[in-house]
Amino acid sequence: MGIDRRTFIQLVTGGVVGSLFTPVIWKSLDDAAIWSQNWSWIPRLKYGQITEHATISKFGPSPCSLMVKSVAGSPYVAKGNAENEMSKGGVDAISAGGAQLLYSPSRVKGPMKKVADGKYESISWDDAEKMLSEKLSAVKGQAGKLAIVSGDATGTSSEVLSAFAAGMGSKDCYLMPGDEQAAAVALENMGGSGQIGYDLDNSDFVLLVGADAMNSWGSVVRNQRVYADKRPTGGDIESVYVYAGPFLNSTAAISDKWVPVAPGTGSIFSLGLAYHMLNAGASASVADFADFKTLVMSRFTPDKVEKAIGVAPGVMAGLAKQLMSASAPLVISGSEFGQGAGAVDIIAASALNMLLGRVGEQGGMKLLADLPLAVDAAASRAELSSRDFAGYLAAVATDKVKAPEVMMAYEANPVYAMPQATTMAAAIAKVPFLVSFSTWMDETASIADLIMPNPHSFERFDDAQTPYGVGTTMLSACAPVIEPLYNGKSTVDVILSVASGLGIDLGYESVEAVLQAKAEKAGADWDSLVEGVAYVSDSTESDSLKFAASVLSKAVTMPKGGEIALAPYAKLNVGSSTMAIPPLNCVTVSKFELQGKDLFVQINGKTAKKLNASEGSTVKLSGAGGECVARVHINEGVMNDVIAAPLGFGHTAWDEFSRGKGDNIAKILTVGTEPGTGMAVWTSSFVSVA
Amino acid sequence: MEEKRASKQCGGVLAFFIGVLASLVIGWWVFPQVIYSQKTQPIDFSHKVHVEGEGMDCESCHTFMEDGSFAGLPSNEQCAECHEDILGESKAEETYVNEYLNKDVEVPWLVYQYQPDNVYFSHMAHKGFECTDCHPDVGNSDTLPTYYENRISGYSKQTMKMWQCERCHAEVGTSNACYVCHK
Repeated sequence: MGIDRRTFIQLVTGGVVGSLFTPVIWKSLDDAAIWSQNWSWIPRLKYGQITEHATISKFGPSPCSLMVKSVAGSPYVAKGNAENEMSKGGVDAISAGGAQLLYSPSRVKGPMKKVADGKYESISWDDAEKMLSEKLSAVKGQAGKLAIVSGDATGTSSEVLSAFAAGMGSKDCYLMPGDEQAAAVALENMGGSGQIGYDLDNSDFVLLVGADAMNSWGSVVRNQRVYADKRPTGGDIESVYVYAGPFLNSTAAISDKWVPVAPGTGSIFSLGLAYHMLNAGASASVADFADFKTLVMSRFTPDKVEKAIGVAPGVMAGLAKQLMSASAPLVISGSEFGQGAGAVDIIAASALNMLLGRVGEQGGMKLLADLPLAVDAAASRAELSSRDFAGYLAAVATDKVKAPEVMMAYEANPVYAMPQATTMAAAIAKVPFLVSFSTWMDETASIADLIMPNPHSFERFDDAQTPYGVGTTMLSACAPVIEPLYNGKSTVDVILSVASGLGIDLGYESVEAVLQAKAEKAGADWDSLVEGVAYVSDSTESDSLKFAASVLSKAVTMPKGGEIALAPYAKLNVGSSTMAIPPLNCVTVSKFELQGKDLFVQINGKTAKKLNASEGSTVKLSGAGGECVARVHINEGVMNDVIAAPLGFGHTAWDEFSRGKGDNIAKILTVGTEPGTGMAVWTSSFVSVA
Repeated sequence: MEEKRASKQCGGVLAFFIGVLASLVIGWWVFPQVIYSQKTQPIDFSHKVHVEGEGMDCESCHTFMEDGSFAGLPSNEQCAECHEDILGESKAEETYVNEYLNKDVEVPWLVYQYQPDNVYFSHMAHKGFECTDCHPDVGNSDTLPTYYENRISGYSKQTMKMWQCERCHAEVGTSNACYVCHK
């Protein structure tokens, strides 16, 4: 029997038939199916002991106490720490992705210096510190040669920086702008001391003037938790909320009543309410009460207020009556976007609290005692808060003040986040040697001459004291949750080391020692703090305040009208002044704020008609220092002649998740000077539209 | 002509059956050997020495963690509780201490029943069963079983397949709903 074609086919056929009765085909198919699930790029889970450690994140404008769950030492989820009074178990939209941000493509992986063509070269920490020391050594003892800006308003690290600046002979150590600046200046003018706080927890009627408490004012996460506690779903409402502001933002949306008030006119609104209260017999035993009453009764009559801000006398009278009849009313004023408000906004709101007898009372406005300084040479919290970085940079931009030789930015991104950003960035560009301590390759780091990355929040020791807006003095601290993934080094350790080399004794050798000393001086237990329990103190300052009538008289001016006002707003899901859009949050960006690379601003139909704009049309917005291009979304929740515009877009550095998306509204903010206090303000920014 | 056709038909049937037979031999004898590669563990670990010699049991090293999850294989930290220094004269122990423990490198043990990430298997939920109901009985063995790795899927030959899980669930009356094992 030879093997011919027919035989061969029969042999093969037999083979095929036989194979059907073997595992070859079936197992191969099964294994192939399993193999197809094992692509090399599919992330693999890590297995091991699941642990939980407390930490503090400072990604948002206010610190957030977290519990971080790790598996085999690697954090994988961050959740709120319900045991901590600072954020009451809430977690903000940036911190929620804190574990994933450890691996952000924007992280700076080690110290770098700028070389030719604007590129960066990795260097050792020894070389980086030597480079910094040499530059600082050349300017030591010379006023105006060193400027430091910190974006951490609550950390003891800012104390170390201010003490270091003092040791260097510099008075130019600042905080990035925030509502605490206006509050500090206001308190100083009212003759108070400590820090203004608001006891939201125990108030039964909260009037928020401008302050977007659910997005950008004060301790946002804590505000949200207090609101939820006071108004449980399906439960009794224990606190009434009223919001006065330029558009239906998150705070207005959750309030019982929204009163449309143009940006930057909060002081007029508050003093208009004061008129009705004074008319109803409200008074206060304060030295300048008579001056205040005269001022209000003459310049803030219902008709004048209506003409200035468009709120009807009946609405004002009704609201004043509600405030006076509540058992624990509280008035809070601030910027609609967490920065740029004037001191007079705070003074005017404080005047209402004084007329209501709510200063120093439970559920009212408090004057919180500062915790003792850990570093003797540091500026007090009030002094540091009241320093005006925007005013300083504006003066540098216009050559009224000479640019420093060295500028150091800690947890701050001033090139992007300062108002009138283009002007301020130009001022920073005048600095011959810029040092960034940023964890991220942000806009400031990307032009810095030296980058010395601070570890991620989860990788470092840190603390946070009494965030602006809370009603009691408090302190939280944290130890690292994870060993540093990259070659970062605590900025405080860097400063202590450099200071020592320059002969400046700051009294400590490590960041941990500084923070422990802070806790000890405050009377807190360090071990409890790092376990996630906040130290809380009822200590307050004297309740004796004055109305600062002379400041109000100079600073409150009636708007001219007819202009298009800018109402920026900040939403945590798109980042903060120190963080760009976190990668995980891209899907949460509203289509009414960003589509593709187009930024959207919101105006109502009447304003659109006036500007000859329609849904989706492109407009160019021009401020004093720059321009922005955006498309229009018609939203009847915006008041007339106001453009509501989201901050947090238009990054030029960072990563693919945020770079080149939309435009930076900070460019078209206009920095002015507040009469009476001289501080830089920018809530009254007007734009021209083309 | 007829004879030639009949002869061809007969030869055709034979060829067909030879094909079938060859397939069966390849499929049932050759294929199972070819589909798996054989691997040996990085250290010649003796369970017997630990169980009989030291009186240990499975739970002495294969523990549950505080949160109830299963620790799986012991880490260097656990092994070092006894083996900080070389205790005996075994070559395997010397290799472990010198090559892994002293160099702070975890032993890359080959896990016989590793499940993919999309399977949520809780040892705690199966605590009522004997370890050997699912795992090889190595407690009284001086050597570790050969590790057979599937050349296509990459998984161990001993990895429990889904039908095995389902069969046992059905037998003991546990739900076989997807979400029981896949979250």
